[in-house]
Amino acid sequence: MSEQSETRELTPAKAPVAMPEWLHSLLGTLLAISIALLGGAVIAIMVGESPFHVFMTLLRGAFGGPDRIAGSLLQSTPIIISGIAACIAFRGGLFNIGVEGQLYMGGFAAAWVGFSFVLPAPLHLTLGIAAAIAAGALWILIPAFFRARYGTNEVVSTILSNYVAILLTSYFTIFVFKRPGGWSETAPISTTAELPQLFEFSRLNWGLFIGVALAVGLHMFLTRTTAGYSMCAMGSNPKFAEYGGVPIRRNVFLILLCSGAVGGLAGGVETLGVHHRFMEGFAPGFGFDGVIAALLANGHPILTIFTALFFGALRAGSLLMEVETNASRELITVVQAFIILAVSAQLLVRRRRDSQAGERRWKY
Amino acid sequence: MSDHQGFRPTPSFGAPMTNAIEMRGVSKRFGPVIANDDVSFAVKKGEIHAIVGENGAGKTTLMNILFGLYHPDTGEIIINGEKVEVDSPRRAISLGLGMVHQHFKLVPSLTAADNVFLGIEKTRNGLIDHAAQIAQTREFSEKFGLSVDPEAIVANLSVGIEQRIEILKVLVRGAEVVILDEPTAVLTPQESRELFRTLRGFTDQGMTVIFISHHLSEVMAVSDTVTVLRDGKVVGTRPTAELGEDDLVRMMVGRNVSFSRRKRPRTDGERILSLKSIWARDNRGLPALQDVSFDVHGGEIVGIVGVDGNGQTELAEVISGLRHVSHGEIVLHGQKIQDGDPRLVRHAGLAHVPADRLHRGVDKADTISGNILMGRQDEAPWSSRGVINWRYVRERTEELIKRFDIRANGSRTLVKTLSGGNMQKVVLAREFSRAMPFLLVDQPTRGVDIGAMEGIHDEIMRQRNEGAAVLLISVQLDEIMTLADRILVMFAGTIAGEVDADTATEDEIGMLMAGRNLSAAAAPTVNEAS
Amino acid sequence: MEVLGDIFNLALIAATLRTTAPILLVALGGTFTTKAGIFNIGLEGQMLIAAFFAVLGSIWTSSAIGGVLIGMMAAMIFAGTFSLLVVTLRANEVVVGLALNILAGGLTISLTKAIFGTRGSIVNPDIVGFAPVNIPIIDDIPGLDRVLSGYTPLVYLAFILVFVVWIIFYRTRLGLHIRVTGEKPEAAEALGINPNTMQHIASLMCGALAGIAGAHLSLGYITMFAENMSAGRGFMAVAVLIFSNGDPVKVLLGCLLFGFSDAMALRLQTFGFPSYLVLTVPYIVTLAALFMLTYRQRPKIIRETLESMSLVRRQEP
Repeated sequence: MSEQSETRELTPAKAPVAMPEWLHSLLGTLLAISIALLGGAVIAIMVGESPFHVFMTLLRGAFGGPDRIAGSLLQSTPIIISGIAACIAFRGGLFNIGVEGQLYMGGFAAAWVGFSFVLPAPLHLTLGIAAAIAAGALWILIPAFFRARYGTNEVVSTILSNYVAILLTSYFTIFVFKRPGGWSETAPISTTAELPQLFEFSRLNWGLFIGVALAVGLHMFLTRTTAGYSMCAMGSNPKFAEYGGVPIRRNVFLILLCSGAVGGLAGGVETLGVHHRFMEGFAPGFGFDGVIAALLANGHPILTIFTALFFGALRAGSLLMEVETNASRELITVVQAFIILAVSAQLLVRRRRDSQAGERRWKY
Repeated sequence: MSDHQGFRPTPSFGAPMTNAIEMRGVSKRFGPVIANDDVSFAVKKGEIHAIVGENGAGKTTLMNILFGLYHPDTGEIIINGEKVEVDSPRRAISLGLGMVHQHFKLVPSLTAADNVFLGIEKTRNGLIDHAAQIAQTREFSEKFGLSVDPEAIVANLSVGIEQRIEILKVLVRGAEVVILDEPTAVLTPQESRELFRTLRGFTDQGMTVIFISHHLSEVMAVSDTVTVLRDGKVVGTRPTAELGEDDLVRMMVGRNVSFSRRKRPRTDGERILSLKSIWARDNRGLPALQDVSFDVHGGEIVGIVGVDGNGQTELAEVISGLRHVSHGEIVLHGQKIQDGDPRLVRHAGLAHVPADRLHRGVDKADTISGNILMGRQDEAPWSSRGVINWRYVRERTEELIKRFDIRANGSRTLVKTLSGGNMQKVVLAREFSRAMPFLLVDQPTRGVDIGAMEGIHDEIMRQRNEGAAVLLISVQLDEIMTLADRILVMFAGTIAGEVDADTATEDEIGMLMAGRNLSAAAAPTVNEAS
Repeated sequence: MEVLGDIFNLALIAATLRTTAPILLVALGGTFTTKAGIFNIGLEGQMLIAAFFAVLGSIWTSSAIGGVLIGMMAAMIFAGTFSLLVVTLRANEVVVGLALNILAGGLTISLTKAIFGTRGSIVNPDIVGFAPVNIPIIDDIPGLDRVLSGYTPLVYLAFILVFVVWIIFYRTRLGLHIRVTGEKPEAAEALGINPNTMQHIASLMCGALAGIAGAHLSLGYITMFAENMSAGRGFMAVAVLIFSNGDPVKVLLGCLLFGFSDAMALRLQTFGFPSYLVLTVPYIVTLAALFMLTYRQRPKIIRETLESMSLVRRQEP
């Protein structure tokens, strides 16, 4: 008797109308942000600044005028694209922590196409972007293969490949393609490969729209298509998906490859749209910010746009904050970390833990 | 353990007046469900006391209360004449109770001795004294006739020996009352007999044994006293000698229930599934299926029975493409599938109700319609050109919710909010609505209440009568007897024999389940020889 | 020439042992969480925060030991936060570990700016580091003195700890209970061992060792703190833990491999190889080892042979 009737009570006849998933996510996120800002305030006091002053400077840096807002959007662009890269893996029940490395490889590949070839405008740009995508996919190829085929933990393999990517691109920049007279940067790309800017006063470019389009596209893919459905089922309960005829290994490989490709694209957009060359350490932490933005959005592509915009604004604001106050710009990293910790404790994980994946996968 | 010398060895009957255990007016609710309702009964010192009842009658809950795992809402527990508060297993152990759970809790990588002393390790200078633990385990196993190699690694041992280790664990903690929850569920009849001999040995030394069971024949054979539970209430406590098996059934069920064979038209369908000399290994690389061959035809139900763990799980996995075959050929609906993945097998014509419905059968985080879609997401009209037709999916889901009487608020209900029985109905609705030529149905009524059980049986019969080939795997012998046209008995990864369901008796099947071949004395067991 | 070759080899061995020490310390810490069934990606952050606070502690207390203790405390606070979130609040291990790594990175830089007013690194004459220890008897044996003597105390400690950790796991109740918690938590629970408590303890012990590892980075051979000075050693340790399954002896072997590749990389650099390429060597070696060993541990697809079938059949009755 116990089991059946005990659980029968849980049938939805009496269950309250469930809060929509997105609203639940949003409320949790807002709470987490408040907790994190409190943590940031503590650090600000330690630095000897008034938290209010630091916070206002941050806000002014992010939103004080059209150029500042454009700056925030500019900082957000690579985070949105990296965030989508992370979302792809995350929704398939996988972690791609190597977005940072893919972003470096993609950025470098795009720059290389940009300064090595002479081609007409649309073709050159397309080729540059294609190179970035290919480089990102290539950079996750081996971890993806071993994860799919032999179950090699992709968290560690993608993290470690970040270090190799950063060192390798630095090597190419400084030892092979160094601009004569310049310091640790390559020659500029030809204008035919540049991603067009949106305004005169800012380097903000079409990359922003690429990011938003990717997010919307991914959302449609996940909710409307057969492949997206199979992917979500895999992320939620791989044993069920396997039973239902979803080819797990093949999908693991493809999901990670797509995730890496988008990570590469993030780097390509950054070099072709913003820097117009490859510079050593050109994008510190964008890939990681993207991963965090995706985690914060619980893998929801549309929400990822907003979390990425938030992180982009924080970044933009932190530049001014560092100039005008004692606090270093890494203060915002601390705030981001606090947000993730707060969110992980109360929301995100409850859903993930429900799934088999959460329990099965994190054992060695 | 020398405490036991203090007890007078008591004969099985005419026990002393003192009660080892008495529970008075114990009630326990889980939410609105009453698991135990004003339960009172007493266990005499030195007897074997059986607690019987149907699944869900409240037996396990009652024992968990006694052992301090649950706290009763009302009622008291009296041990050796003293009212006590059992608020934790630790307290229960200190009161001389010991419990052997239905699911063993041994650590596979440790030795038998390490497992026995886990939590009460013997130490010398702060380090674990393995030698002393081994010596003492050996001493106990000899004293109580539980033969166990203390230095063997548990991962390599059989279920029967694992159970002995579980009992040793209880004994070294000084138990005077040993409680066993469904101890024979995983044992062969021979192992069960040996277990009961051991248990009788305990009572001869003055200890008390309580065991939970729903196997009436073994209750009749070994217990001194029986307490019957039904719907959480005590129906009665009687000396076993005063009862017949019929009385016991009536007390348990409260009515005369006989699983009668379903009437069926004879059909002669074509061969749908054929296994030829199938071999497979389990997760540890040990042989799980050995030379298994059989056919299933359209319009028949082939039942697979056997003691849990004799290869049924692997058989289901092999057929559904979830496990690699190490040798042999499987043909489903004219297509070779032995090297196929689940997708190929499904396309060849499989509908599959898995035993592990929570993990394999549903995605609890998804909606009912998301669950109904699984397996046919590539088929029109469910989807076209890679895009899912959600409107169609939801309409069909609503329809199935009605047809299968799934208690839910529509197709968008999340499956995790459903009860176990309704989750199972979601699985059945999905698979039975596929109209596939072959149906693999694994433990369809596990954890399902009796009313729902009838419905599920009706549905399986309907599929059969419409011409589907059905392979029904179940540990419930009566379920197989009710539904199957032919019965295959599995033992140690082989098909031990086939019997005609119309003429077979439970005894006949029981012999096969124990690995004793009917046709030839091919494998005389060690026990019989000695 | 032969003598030169000898010296080269001995020096390389010494360099290997020296570079092995920090990763060995942090990996040994990770054995506790691994055995307790926690995937601890946060080792990197624990090491980094400890490196920073060890410098701070060394200045405050004017002693290297004091620095180590304060570094350990900082890492244990991180470890405690990790287990609080992961074990008690059941948050996702990967997410929490990553967040704590990010927090360590941001916090050390922010606090460097706040306390020292500088960006990037702390170089300060008040930092008290460890002096190399010479072992008297070994010092008198030529050859051996170069290999076994003259390390800072934490290097010796790292190798002694391999043995200690082994004893803890296989000869003490605590270690046994940690292993049982990781392997079969329900068995632990049934016998009155609280799996959550064991996981908290394991995490704190892990923090303590990661703390020593971090202190070794900033107070061992160089006495300074630099931003992100752990440079992925925590992640390498996680890789070692994955294929060693937390066994202390296998951890030692794995760490020696990485120590050796580290030492080789430094040596190659002096031969004029570009430093950027050379620095990738330890990461590539780790990745290669990770891939190779998981390939070797892959589940095998068995095909029966005539022999296997008849063999099995004979055992059957």
